[in-house]
Amino acid sequence: MNTIENALNKNLNGLCYGNRIILPFNCTFLKVIIEDDIITDFSPASKGIYVREKDDFTELYFLEINNVKETVSKYENIKLVAVEKGDNLFDLKNHKKIALYIEEKHNVKIEKTEDDILFIE
Amino acid sequence: MLKKLKYSFIAFAILLFFGSMKLFAAAAAVSDTLGTTAKPEHAGTLPEVYMVLPFVILLLMIATGPLFYKHFWEKHYPKVSIVLGVVVVVYYLAVLNDEHSLMHTFAEYISFIALLSSLFVASGGILIKVDKESTPMLNVLFLLFGAVIANVIGTTGASMLLIRPFIKMNRERLKPYHIIFFIFVISNVGGALTPIGDPPLFLGFLSGVPFFWVIDNVWFIWIPALLMILLVFYVFDKMNKTEYEKIEYSGKIQFKGFKNLGYLLIIIISVFIDPAVIPGVPSLAPLPFGIREIIMFAVVYFSYKGADTEILKANEFDFEPIKEVAYLFIGIFATMIPALQLIANEAHALGHKLNAGVFYWATGGLSAVLDNTPTYMNFLSAAIGKYSADIGTTLTVTNKMHVMQFVAADQIYLQAISVASVFFGAITYIGNGPNFMVKSISERAGIQMPSFFAYMVKYSIVILVPIYAVIWLLFFYGKG
Repeated sequence: MNTIENALNKNLNGLCYGNRIILPFNCTFLKVIIEDDIITDFSPASKGIYVREKDDFTELYFLEINNVKETVSKYENIKLVAVEKGDNLFDLKNHKKIALYIEEKHNVKIEKTEDDILFIE
Repeated sequence: MLKKLKYSFIAFAILLFFGSMKLFAAAAAVSDTLGTTAKPEHAGTLPEVYMVLPFVILLLMIATGPLFYKHFWEKHYPKVSIVLGVVVVVYYLAVLNDEHSLMHTFAEYISFIALLSSLFVASGGILIKVDKESTPMLNVLFLLFGAVIANVIGTTGASMLLIRPFIKMNRERLKPYHIIFFIFVISNVGGALTPIGDPPLFLGFLSGVPFFWVIDNVWFIWIPALLMILLVFYVFDKMNKTEYEKIEYSGKIQFKGFKNLGYLLIIIISVFIDPAVIPGVPSLAPLPFGIREIIMFAVVYFSYKGADTEILKANEFDFEPIKEVAYLFIGIFATMIPALQLIANEAHALGHKLNAGVFYWATGGLSAVLDNTPTYMNFLSAAIGKYSADIGTTLTVTNKMHVMQFVAADQIYLQAISVASVFFGAITYIGNGPNFMVKSISERAGIQMPSFFAYMVKYSIVILVPIYAVIWLLFFYGKG
């Protein structure tokens, strides 16, 4: 199982194909923000997102978007609030804020959100 | 898909342009790009009432699309806007044989989009960081500062520039009301003093209202309205007792992107570069734009190309909001031509029944639920129609000299229209362009904003309508 911290330290990239984003870590999602959609429903009945977990990676399917790369432009990002597997979900200090930038050749750059970027949990 | 849309947009613009060239060729000797001088009137060629339908359909779809069929609307709004616009253009060319109205409208559209896009792009390359702990008084001063600045760089520019530092300052105790009062003050009411402040006033300026008329005639209405809203905000903010972990603040204010401040200055100066404002400025007639618009579009290009990518990234800069304005407004400008002409005609007939209070509430009511720019133009047209009836002649909003004559003679109506179109734009998210932009930036930052109706029921109707009623009582009740 890969951790968020490990992916950030090793500068691992994710992948993006159509409406699917593959992240090289496992975690529990609390919030995903894409454009002006704030997604907090991660249940199987969610209309906005479907999350599938594999041993070493996590897949996100944005159900209302055909192509994430066309939707999220050059300087925009997808924001995530997530908690490492095994960490205490209820301790706010464990909540990690991450930004995903969609790049060329299906690459997804994963960054901790900088101070400049607005991100209110 | 995007390419197809671009081509259809360009094709529509060309249709508007070349369809109008015939008449301009004949009138070129005496006309400028905005039709400031004598031109043949199209008296007797009023459009049929049903030609207002494309305008009504477009405005209704703009109001309901983002709420009830968001994904369809996001995908298809450019096509909807262009198709409805084409219906009116074809009608004017084929049935009324009135190319002048089209050309005049197209020139206004070019000026309008040049100003908005240049302000949008130039301010997108500026980053302000305020590392201070917010207090109710500091927030009030910040909003007041934003209100003043909105008159210099527009409500769009000020909103883009200031919403991020405002959210950052308040991040530990942020509630939706912070964003809502930001929309009230900086995205709307603040920008009532100059034609750069808010799009309707800029369109008024393009139509012949003198630049400084607005500040001369509106400042004494602006101040009480603003103070009342800020007072309510202060009470709200004082009652916000959110507990939060104390953070060390450096107290510093950082400003990045000075180069783009220069571009903003160029935009402001270029507003005055118009043959009607500065004699000697060359007119590019029969082209539907002038030196001013060329400068503004150059600013769009250079301020974007030269912007610091780190600032663009921090601002999450995206062309989508301005692209949306460009597509929607080409449809709005085209489809509102029949409405403008019919309203002016009706006002001519009903003139004696209309007073300043009626203009204030009617302009305000429609500005709240439709876009305030076409609303302003419609009621300016109506006021001129009423004035025409009073003086027994025919004046039109499409002639700058007529507008100037009206402004000089009958100020109370234009005061009511100007104030109401700007102030009431804050009543809904769709009342003014920046409202949606601020909402969208806030949501992208993770703030859950109230829905369309909750915004009205919980905030704007409860707070703003009583304040606007006081403004009506003080300045417009029983006048005109």
